[in-house]
Amino acid sequence: MTELVETAGLTKAFGEVRAVDDLSVSIPQGAIGLVGPNGAGKTTFLRLLLGLLRPTSGSGKVLGYGIEEGIPVRERTGYMPEHDCLIPDMTGIGLVSYMGRVSGLDAGTSMSRAHDVLQFVGVEEERYRKVAEFSTGMKQKIKLAQAMVHDPQLYVFDEPTTGLDPRGRAEMLDLVGKIAASEGRNVILSSHLLPDVESICKYVVILDGGHQIAAGPLDRLLTGAQDRLRVDVRGDRDAFLRTLKEAGVDAEAGTSGVHVARKPGAEAEVFRAAKAAHAEVRYLGTEIRSLEELFLDLLERNTGGR
Amino acid sequence: MSISLPTYTRREIPLLGRRHRIWAIVVTGLRHEIRRPAAIFAVGVGTAITTIVSIVFVFFVLVGQPLELTFFYTPASNPAMLFFVTLMAAAVGAGLIADDLDSMALTLYLSRPLTSADYLTAKAAILATLTALIAVLPLVITPLLAALLGFSPWDVALEAVGISILLGLLLTVFFTSLALFLSSLTRRRAYAAAAVFAIVFGLLATATILSQTGSLNEPALLYLSPWDDYLAVARAAFGASGGTIDWAPALAILLGITVVAALATWVRMRAVEVVSG
Repeated sequence: MTELVETAGLTKAFGEVRAVDDLSVSIPQGAIGLVGPNGAGKTTFLRLLLGLLRPTSGSGKVLGYGIEEGIPVRERTGYMPEHDCLIPDMTGIGLVSYMGRVSGLDAGTSMSRAHDVLQFVGVEEERYRKVAEFSTGMKQKIKLAQAMVHDPQLYVFDEPTTGLDPRGRAEMLDLVGKIAASEGRNVILSSHLLPDVESICKYVVILDGGHQIAAGPLDRLLTGAQDRLRVDVRGDRDAFLRTLKEAGVDAEAGTSGVHVARKPGAEAEVFRAAKAAHAEVRYLGTEIRSLEELFLDLLERNTGGR
Repeated sequence: MSISLPTYTRREIPLLGRRHRIWAIVVTGLRHEIRRPAAIFAVGVGTAITTIVSIVFVFFVLVGQPLELTFFYTPASNPAMLFFVTLMAAAVGAGLIADDLDSMALTLYLSRPLTSADYLTAKAAILATLTALIAVLPLVITPLLAALLGFSPWDVALEAVGISILLGLLLTVFFTSLALFLSSLTRRRAYAAAAVFAIVFGLLATATILSQTGSLNEPALLYLSPWDDYLAVARAAFGASGGTIDWAPALAILLGITVVAALATWVRMRAVEVVSG
């Protein structure tokens, strides 16, 4: 199967700043999360993929089409930008239908699909009102609808829940999740809200400073290394760690919990050290992290390595 | 909220080509513009006044005049046309790109299967269509009416129609290119509109005053004014006498500014995504 995205040495510099720096990734089809702190280069990377920015160097392919070609990629892509981008004096239905026509649909099909997708995103009677009168949540839904109207193979969502209240966020995630779960549709969800990505995506690419610092199936990344155990303790964690090290156990503190090298007898040493440090073992087993824990761990290592 | 994703089959209808996409922008843009009061005024009143003034020439000036091609220079040099073409460029053209920059809708367009050149072509077509209503239509109607009423022989009238179309198009492409360039420089349509008026009438006033006797007395300064350049070309095209500047440099200046402004707009549009991102 064609890779969803492939890049080789992709670089985009704005003056002295390299927003995307020598990025080589191979991302499979499916629901992909693109995460990273603010300024990590996520939006720049997405815009490079869509041909909205020209790379300083390197190359890339989306669905097998070179990003320098632009148009074939954008014919197969629906883009929901982070920032406000709607034409304020058009109606909801008018705008979505118009974007369908600009994507290449004929007028009849475009209008028909505009009604379909607006119903899907939950903009019903309001579709005849002008966009300028919409709330933030409604505008986000219109942005989603315009990305869907030409039924693309790839949806690119750039921070889709930005500015939404909890209910609006849940609704948006539900919609994005439905799209991601449907057959033949691929999603790239860029967000710094890690629970959003964790709830929808099966594969994650983590960026920092324009570099890829990790990529892979989410379940594998969160499971962590098989050659170490994770120990959560209640009590004095530092004393527990110190006791472990004094006993000759290879252990280190994680962003939460303690990581212990998996060796014969390691479990017994953990309980001995806990007893000695007056700590209570709450979890001992394969490391299962949240995306947030993984993310913070990777960022800490990446920052430390610079 | 509905409960399921629309289930139409993907690619059941192939996407239409770029020409269709550009056409969609043009049609929607024209529909949008002719609903705005400023555009309605510029199109309606501008076309009506310039046409009426031209027809008045036919009825009241043409009678008893020699029926020559030179007569049709008179409606072509109608100052009302200058005012309304400028008004059109300011009312419609100034906002065509500036509004998309302001609302950041440019991202929506450029994330579609379009190039910057496609986008600019569509925007230029919107403004050019509306401007041509004022710059071309009255000039075409006048000789046709003169011929229909028997004031002018058909061969002269048809020659005048051909020249009028070319002259009207010259004015149309100049104002279209200038207005879009100014519109691409700002997010505020008012600034671009003010700049259109300032450039056209500022240069007209400056060139007229400075070229007159008692001032610098340098007729070549009239080349600075786009309207005077247009008049020089129109005079030569209709074989009318008068004027102090040559048509060839004047035409070169008008076309040069048009091309340079169009290229500058294109370059600006290719870079603007970086700025707005």
